[in-house]
Amino acid sequence: MDPDDDLTDSSGDAPTLLRLRPPTNPVDPRALRWWRLRALCSAGLVTAVLGVTTWLWEPGRPWLAVPLVAAALWTVARVTFEPRIRYAVHRWETTDQGIYGLSGWVVREWRAAPLSRVQTVDAVRGPLEQALGLATLRVTTASSSGAVNIVGLDKDLAAELAERLTVITEQIPGDAT
Amino acid sequence: MTDAVTESTSPPDAGTADVPWSRLSHRTIWVDLAQTLLALSPTALAVGVFGVDPTLDALWPLLGVAVVGVLGAVSNVLRWIFTRYRITPEYVERRSGVFVRRYRSVRRDRIRSVDITARLRHRVAGLRVVLVGAGQQLVSGESALRLDAVVKADAEALRRELLATSEVAAVSAEEVADDGDGAAADGAADGGAAAGAAGTGHTEVLARFRPWWVVYNVVSVWMFFSAAGLLWGAYWLVRTFGYDPMPWVGDLLDPDVRGLPASVAIAVLLTGAIGAVVMAVNFFTVNWGYELARVPGQKTTQLRTRHGLFTTREVNRDERRLRGVYLSEPLLWRWMGMADTQVITTGLSAFSPSQPAAILPRGPVSVARPVAAAVLGADPDPLGAPLARHPRGALRRRLWWATWVAAVVTVTLGWLSFNDILPATLIWCGAGVWLVGLVLAVAAYRALGHAVVDDYLVVRSGATSRATVVLRRDSVSTIALRESILQRRLGLRSVTAMTAAGWGAYQAPDIGREDALAFAVEAAPGLLDPFVERVPASPGQPLGGD
Repeated sequence: MDPDDDLTDSSGDAPTLLRLRPPTNPVDPRALRWWRLRALCSAGLVTAVLGVTTWLWEPGRPWLAVPLVAAALWTVARVTFEPRIRYAVHRWETTDQGIYGLSGWVVREWRAAPLSRVQTVDAVRGPLEQALGLATLRVTTASSSGAVNIVGLDKDLAAELAERLTVITEQIPGDAT
Repeated sequence: MTDAVTESTSPPDAGTADVPWSRLSHRTIWVDLAQTLLALSPTALAVGVFGVDPTLDALWPLLGVAVVGVLGAVSNVLRWIFTRYRITPEYVERRSGVFVRRYRSVRRDRIRSVDITARLRHRVAGLRVVLVGAGQQLVSGESALRLDAVVKADAEALRRELLATSEVAAVSAEEVADDGDGAAADGAADGGAAAGAAGTGHTEVLARFRPWWVVYNVVSVWMFFSAAGLLWGAYWLVRTFGYDPMPWVGDLLDPDVRGLPASVAIAVLLTGAIGAVVMAVNFFTVNWGYELARVPGQKTTQLRTRHGLFTTREVNRDERRLRGVYLSEPLLWRWMGMADTQVITTGLSAFSPSQPAAILPRGPVSVARPVAAAVLGADPDPLGAPLARHPRGALRRRLWWATWVAAVVTVTLGWLSFNDILPATLIWCGAGVWLVGLVLAVAAYRALGHAVVDDYLVVRSGATSRATVVLRRDSVSTIALRESILQRRLGLRSVTAMTAAGWGAYQAPDIGREDALAFAVEAAPGLLDPFVERVPASPGQPLGGD
């Protein structure tokens, strides 16, 4: 079957196109702070280590200059741009049939999984997320790479969603493979 | 969800105490005794016959063999003494462990495969090793339960009982052995009839061993590694018996006598030739008597492969768990039509080194395609369907990446030579990298393709190895669309279909933005429908989830 068949709908007057609409719900605004802190903890830490080494180890300076500048630029990008772009991009939605998330900043990803294939639903909270009162909703399927993660949710909302989705998935028979 | 495999230090309550426990076959003891004698014989031979001085210095490789062999045999005997197994109506259970008692049970309704394998020492004693797979992701592709070893007849009976295949299947399996060679071609030819054969009680052979497939298996990088291993082992062996081959090798490869290029050429050709012979011997020992067959049972049919000259291996794959097939064709050998054929199925680890998913040895694509089609048993054949080409932007993206990598390599080399670490001529390597990159980019672009054929989706991609994936649409559990910044500029999106089987995720890279969505909607029926809307087409309007 030619995929082009579904692209244009000849039944109406004007030709129509398929469009993937973004999910309905934005993430919690506290996620901005979370992404910023996360960037500082990863890229910022690398920059700091490189900076201290450059400062203390004089013969290594010609070697460390380029990596240090690159790491510094990367940290600036991740602290200033990444949170804002992510907050504008990240969205999520759950229905009685499926879960749908949009995420990313350099690479965007739309991910959807049917609840009939879901194996586990968890609200996961890392140390930074705990400090900010946030949680990640992790929905795994039988595929090792098929998990849908929705980051930056309010912890109560995530717990409630996990509970609701677990109830729905338990009602669907089959071993979800 | 209850676990299919449980392990604890003690058996649970004795609810099924009436089923007696059995031991592994006592013949393993004799095998171990023979192994001990065999392990000691090189040392005895060296000292007794060749009169080598019994010093640790001269004998350590042989002593190593002896110690490993004897320890292995002793631990095997201990394992035999302490291992018991039984099959209750619900579980397969095994108790084992010398110092720490272990109890392992596998739920019978979760058993996905029962494989029978045997090393040479098992076959001499009429023994078989039974591997029970429950589709669990255990440590490094380990079987859920391993019985090492039972008598051949017991192994067959176990397999029949655990897979609930009927007596009819067993009988017809024997008959097929007398069938002519034509059965393979017949089976491969009518794929549509293949699915219909299920339940009719007739074993259908889909492919048989062809000795000339050896030409597909001798030449690879591994031949140099296997040659190196063999030469290293031979060197230590002759050293132990008091002969040092180093001067002879030095004479043969002396660069002062023959010139450096000739010496290198001789060395490469010699090791290559030795390696090719090793690979050929290996191919024959592993794949001798190869047979792929569809074996009917009471509830379902099994895809069965049997092969091996000394170590025989039989793998049964439940066809209910079959989700598709995977064909890969390496770029360098495309001219001779080399292909690897695997099934995509749940419960078999794609990462296992023994490759239980491979249904054919590496061989000609002209055999691989019909066999794969027969395994799928779909009409129309998804492998024969024309694939949609991907837009030119996909080629541009690949050319950009090739150029980027070459640029980074060149700048790095330039910087290193600027600092007098590397000679300046090495910068030309950058040009070489660029050329190879551009060729690979074009090859990767030409490999791209996707289609939806009936119940299956087909995706093809890959630069150094072109992989064609046929996957059942109803097995797709998660669908993902990806778009990087460069892809956004080029109007491309990648669609990934995730499934519980095989590698877990199969990607159709760089489809045009609108086609990508249409493909994703079709690839996972019904999944994306609530999230897709139809908009009137007007030029200049941004499409997709902006």
